[in-house]
Amino acid sequence: MKFPVLLSIFCIFIVKSTAQFRTLVLLDNQVIRETHSIFFRSLIDRGYSLTYKVADDSTLVLSKYGEALYDNLIVFAPSVEEFGGVLNVDTLTQFIDDGGNVLIAGSSVTGDVLRELASECGFEVDEEGAYVIDHLNYDVSDEGEHTKLVVDNENLIDSSVILGQPRQKIAPLIYEGTGLLADTENQLVLPLITGHSTSYSYIPGQKIKEYPHAVGKDTLLVAGLQARNNARVIFSGSLSFFSDEFFTASVQKAANGQQYEKSGNQDVAIALSQWVFKEHGQLRVKSVNHHKAGESKPPSEYTIMDNAVYNIEVEILNGGKWEPFVANDIQLEFVRIDPFIRTILKKTQNGSYEAKFKIPDVYGVYQFKVDYDRVGYTRLYSTTQVSVRPLQHTQYERFIFSAYPYYTGGFSMMIGVFLFSFVFLHFKDEDKKSKSD
Amino acid sequence: MANIGSVVSKFYSEYSIKTPKKMKIIDAYLLYILLTGIVQFVYCLLVGTFPFNSFLSGFISTVGSFVLAVCLRLQVNPENKNQFQDISPERGYADFIFAHVVLHLVVMNFIG
Repeated sequence: MKFPVLLSIFCIFIVKSTAQFRTLVLLDNQVIRETHSIFFRSLIDRGYSLTYKVADDSTLVLSKYGEALYDNLIVFAPSVEEFGGVLNVDTLTQFIDDGGNVLIAGSSVTGDVLRELASECGFEVDEEGAYVIDHLNYDVSDEGEHTKLVVDNENLIDSSVILGQPRQKIAPLIYEGTGLLADTENQLVLPLITGHSTSYSYIPGQKIKEYPHAVGKDTLLVAGLQARNNARVIFSGSLSFFSDEFFTASVQKAANGQQYEKSGNQDVAIALSQWVFKEHGQLRVKSVNHHKAGESKPPSEYTIMDNAVYNIEVEILNGGKWEPFVANDIQLEFVRIDPFIRTILKKTQNGSYEAKFKIPDVYGVYQFKVDYDRVGYTRLYSTTQVSVRPLQHTQYERFIFSAYPYYTGGFSMMIGVFLFSFVFLHFKDEDKKSKSD
Repeated sequence: MANIGSVVSKFYSEYSIKTPKKMKIIDAYLLYILLTGIVQFVYCLLVGTFPFNSFLSGFISTVGSFVLAVCLRLQVNPENKNQFQDISPERGYADFIFAHVVLHLVVMNFIG
């Protein structure tokens, strides 16, 4: 008797735990699984089911019968020139378009397929063999080429949603890999970690003949993208950034820097994986309600100059549960092509926001629009269409005191034409008589 | 100034002698409409455009009346007989009244 019940509970548990966390991991070779074990272990501990595959495995598929087989994709295969199976740039961009999240790590020998994928996402990977070089901020363990960089926490993006904590608390990071460039036109790209102002990206040991592609703060070490469908992509120029070696390494700048026992890599890498797989910063609208002041249900239409009340409840995903989202910068717009009213939504309870305003003296079809787009959070966009009509004929004010001269004018014209008619018609008769006489 | 004065006095004397009395009646009516319109306009300038629909309908009723009266004057003027051979003065007057009915219906709807 109990067995079926237990089984069904077990099934529900399985479905629930793997619903969001089916992850495909593509590797150059199975060794990476061992060299990056801390990173993978942290994912498994958080409930992800990882499927490891070699990147040129000929059986690779991302979807079957139009259903995605994975929610997330990790590509720790920098040198792969071509994926196996049906995977290519098109299927990967389709995966992102369908809402899948992707974490990609390149290196100084990034393969063509990853370069193409990066440029699809708005990044550009520097030439083959290029490293980010910084002659002032390199680690003591560097071997003379100044490519093993110490990255201070001020080079991280200033967003505790993405980093999981304020960036000031994070120890310096170690980074060894190629530089990325962001498409400056692409507003969706986030510079997650940038190089120091003294860094540049070039092939070490070569004479610099032409201007490096990436120089100073423009050199991106780790770049992120949140697409318009809220799918997230992170591209790291360094695979070793996620390695056990760098996670556990101690950090000291060669130029008489302070020594840190443990680098910030583990904190940042895990926070980035939490962000990119949407554990952090995922918002949704729970409910929207609008009504006239003093009522509780949405009217079929508003009249101009009505007092309107708009309520919205916003939630954030926190540890697998939807919880009220608290902020003080959510705005409401009342839009008819252009916003006629833009106002801050005031918090009434936790996660519930309200705005009261007077509908403008212009009728038409309007939208209540909440468009909350902040770094690190998914885009929150909610529109509710309502119509605003002019006053009814019976609703206008009558017998306005200051309009009496106009009333008098209008009526005097009527009386005028009445009296004029008498005079005009009467006079006509007289005139004829006089003429006939 | 004397020149203008003489022009005006000549115009007035010519007008009093040559113009038929019926035309004078219409002219008096026109003057009354004109004054009413000016008074409303000045009032609007002083008070502001608040009941704008009332101002518009009041003012337009004077303008409309003025135009209709001018039309009537053209049609019944003996000097224009050649131009309006098909239209007798009675017909002109009937048109005038009909147009007035339409005008005042609109004005009363709009005056608020």
